[in-house]
Amino acid sequence: MKATPKGKAVPSRVTREILLKAKQYGFSDRQLAHLWGTSEKAVRQLRKDFGIIPVYKTVDTCAAEFEAHTPYHYSTYDQENESIRSEKRKVVILGGGPNRIGQGIEFDYCCVHGVYALEEEGIETIMINCNPETVSTDYDTTDKLYFEPLTLEDVLNIYEHEQPEGVIVSFGGQTPLKIAKALEDHGVRILGTSPEGIDLAEDRERFGALLKKLKIPHPMYGTAYSVSSAVLVAEQIGYPVLIRPSYVLGGRAMEICYSGEAVREYMKKAVDVSPEHPVLIDKFLEDAFEFDVDAVADGRDVLIGGVMEHIEEAGIHSGDSSCVIPPYMISERNLEEIKAHTVKLAKALKVVGLINVQYAVKDGVVYVLEVNPRASRTVPFVSKAVGLPLAKIAAKVMVGRTLEDLGVRDFDFRTVKHISVKEAVFPFSKFPRVPVFLGPEMRSTGEVMGVSPTIGGAIAKAQMGAGNTLPTEGRVFISVNDSDKHDVTLNIVKDYVRLGFLLVATEGTAKFLRAQGLECQKVFKVNEGRPNVVDMIKNGEIQLVINTPLGEGSRYDEYAIGWAAIEHRVSFVTTLSAAATAVKGIERQKFQELEVRSLQEYQRETES
Amino acid sequence: MVLKDEGYRVVLVNSNPATIMTDPNLADATYVEPITPFFIEKIIAKERPSVILPTMGGQTALNAAVALAESGILDKYSVPLIGAKLEAIKKAEDRELFQEAMRHVGLETPRGRFVHSLEEALRAAEEIGLPIIIRPSFTLGGTGGGTAYNMEEFREEVEHGLRSSPIRQVLVEESVIGWKEYELEVMRDLKDNVVVICSIENFDPMGVHTGDSITVAPAQTLTDKEYQIMRDAAKKIIREIGVETGGSNIQFAVHPETGRMIVIEMNPRVSRSSALASKATGFPIAKIAAKLAVGYTLDEIPNDITKETPASFEPTIDYCVVKIPRWDFEKFKGVDDTLGVQMKSVGEAMAIGRTFKEALQKALRSLEQGRFGLGADGKDVLDVRSLAPNKREEWKKRVLDRMKMPKPDNVFYLRYAFQLGATIEELYGITRIDPWFLHNIKQIADLEEELISHGA
Repeated sequence: MKATPKGKAVPSRVTREILLKAKQYGFSDRQLAHLWGTSEKAVRQLRKDFGIIPVYKTVDTCAAEFEAHTPYHYSTYDQENESIRSEKRKVVILGGGPNRIGQGIEFDYCCVHGVYALEEEGIETIMINCNPETVSTDYDTTDKLYFEPLTLEDVLNIYEHEQPEGVIVSFGGQTPLKIAKALEDHGVRILGTSPEGIDLAEDRERFGALLKKLKIPHPMYGTAYSVSSAVLVAEQIGYPVLIRPSYVLGGRAMEICYSGEAVREYMKKAVDVSPEHPVLIDKFLEDAFEFDVDAVADGRDVLIGGVMEHIEEAGIHSGDSSCVIPPYMISERNLEEIKAHTVKLAKALKVVGLINVQYAVKDGVVYVLEVNPRASRTVPFVSKAVGLPLAKIAAKVMVGRTLEDLGVRDFDFRTVKHISVKEAVFPFSKFPRVPVFLGPEMRSTGEVMGVSPTIGGAIAKAQMGAGNTLPTEGRVFISVNDSDKHDVTLNIVKDYVRLGFLLVATEGTAKFLRAQGLECQKVFKVNEGRPNVVDMIKNGEIQLVINTPLGEGSRYDEYAIGWAAIEHRVSFVTTLSAAATAVKGIERQKFQELEVRSLQEYQRETES
Repeated sequence: MVLKDEGYRVVLVNSNPATIMTDPNLADATYVEPITPFFIEKIIAKERPSVILPTMGGQTALNAAVALAESGILDKYSVPLIGAKLEAIKKAEDRELFQEAMRHVGLETPRGRFVHSLEEALRAAEEIGLPIIIRPSFTLGGTGGGTAYNMEEFREEVEHGLRSSPIRQVLVEESVIGWKEYELEVMRDLKDNVVVICSIENFDPMGVHTGDSITVAPAQTLTDKEYQIMRDAAKKIIREIGVETGGSNIQFAVHPETGRMIVIEMNPRVSRSSALASKATGFPIAKIAAKLAVGYTLDEIPNDITKETPASFEPTIDYCVVKIPRWDFEKFKGVDDTLGVQMKSVGEAMAIGRTFKEALQKALRSLEQGRFGLGADGKDVLDVRSLAPNKREEWKKRVLDRMKMPKPDNVFYLRYAFQLGATIEELYGITRIDPWFLHNIKQIADLEEELISHGA
């Protein structure tokens, strides 16, 4: 029996023959470890002791009949290796893996830029990825392509075969990050920010301590290990709170709770809380404005690529929120604070490469919500909006260049004269009957960008690009919850009236609007009688729906309205801020023809 | 990129910021503007291009091109479509014209009828008989489509389909559910040379959208004769439809017992499957399509990979490629995860291996959903080996019942079923997955048992 680090051994009856056959049948070391009750590491060791290592074959379009020149490879357990290691300086870039909700081609964009950058530096690039829908897996994008799974086993095999000077894990999103630590433990050199720095940003306790040291405000938070302690923690923090399990990423199963009752309800249905799997509870900053920053650091200087302002209020996942560069409603002081915090954080986390920081501003105070020292999904949008290839710069920094010698240290994104808006695209029309309201869980599957000299124009274009052209006349249906029945709402509504829209509302909202002297047609809710609001939508009598969620009680009504709007292609907004920006778009669309301009022209304007 | 290298000034229109395509250094002018006739007309007026290539950007681009051509805007600026002309696009996309074209070259299509109202649909249903497939015209990824097994479902699906279709038209069609499904990627040049780049076989039979199917390249279960018939048909189709240059994707259904072959549809453009076919073969379909569009012929273009063979050499594959879709249903609570004619996946992983077995297991671990192959990874929802012997029959019945509807995790259930003693015949009866695939999965399950015996 062989001793393994975990103390478990590979059974001695495992022969070379059976192990080779298992590999040829595609079994992973992990599966074999499971079947034999041992560790992946032990199986790997035994496999190597038996001399069972993969060979790399070439995809050559001609079944090896002619010699192939383009190195595009896959592994198999067979004779004769066809992938020859070069003697050049070389770096492996790990791709993003399959597209999923929360991670699409924006990470592939970063990987490909990494490739371009390293090529410019004279370094051979080796890509590992398994997603056929990407540019990184075009065989002519990189010097060498391995079409392989992004698992520890497969990546290590290639690393050992190629012996590169390092591996870039911070461009491909969650996929490569998940294996970064294990790769490092196996002696792989990770380029850029260390897995330690990435870990530190994700570990609440350690990160909280760091923020305290740096004197950067953050929302109050706590951790609960049982249902009863969750309510206690939430009460100490003060409602509303954002609550989520600790062991899932990407905003899954997050919820905003306004009472102890809601917390108990959430704990009951959503999570299996235990000492190993606590739930995380954060103060939810209601009505705060959110900002995202993408920056590049080289260990000495920090380049702020851009600060984006989210159109939707806090509480909506940043990937689902639409956002604007440059920010349009922020004080000079807060903006400077955001920049200063970003610099401090990048330095404290010893970031070499990209960093994304999310902020919330409430009552003039800037809070840090989240820090990710890696490529974020907004990098392509920011890069195109400000005309600076951030991922490319980051890759160069990772192999030793500085922001100063790249000539970008003093870049100021505010010299850009045009406005860019990013809008999320949702698959709701594919999934009839799913809740259409946005929340802390990301559900968009794509994005579009609108660019224009004015914010209204950029918004109008982004909406059109998303297949949701804003109406320029007709009726607006308005339904807002009681806490939204205030002056801000009124001013937004007045803007629609000024543009010639007629108002339609259900009883509560109608009363509120009429009390303010606004003319308004009253309509039935779905279960109040016919014809109701859904009938009006189906008949094409409503051109825009503004519906802020009223809470559990009226969910049925709201879902019915949302589905009707989506099915009949009626514009639909669920937040006041989106309603306020939509009206800007409508105004621009209505009174001035939208013009087209290429990114190259915008770039020249910025430079002039 | 290819066209820029050829000395053309390239003007690109796309509103997606996440793609490398909209990088300002790729095209000469990059318009991040909505792909709608309104904006494209403005761009045409400003840039005055000599031609428009609409076959590289998927359905959205093609729809916009059709709208521009039909409204006379292209004539106004005298800018022709290259790659595929309006007539070809319409012939391929409009099912009525497509059926007519197929009849013309002696190929069969499913029996069906186009309808514009529920009443018309109900009349058609009487002729065709249930189950019936409902396909709305001109929608992306088959949005709004479905299968009806009873009249209530039929009414619902037709109404939904009519609303989803921009021209309020749906096709109600004979169901070929359970037939074997194939795709061929074909390219044609201006000299009428046609090459077949790749054959793709769907592991899941007809009834599941290709985007939601596990697919395998090259096709594994066709006889050589069947494959030649399909190839010949594909060549006839691309010529009859009149796609002048570039890639097209043609879908076929083959009856598993009689071998009757039916043409399902054709995409006269670069599609999701072309990307897969390119990666599977190493043949750069999009790149070659761009060259063909500006007048090169297949025999003039060298194959990048070998540099010796021209693009008119059809690729040959001495390995097996498997693509598996990735679904994220947990993000959409309450959504039915049964797979059907409307695509529900959000991504995919592809893997290459010497055999189907190797490629399948590699693809499963590439999905990154915590699986490390076909089960046996500590993540199985059912541990057959721990079941009491007297419970096995009951569990087998449950597992087989569960597989009656296509679901994302059916492939894992095949393994459970074999472990519980199900036969290939039984599983074929339920799933209509070709016995050859089932046999391979059984081999994986059997080897697992052998591996365990070595661990005892």
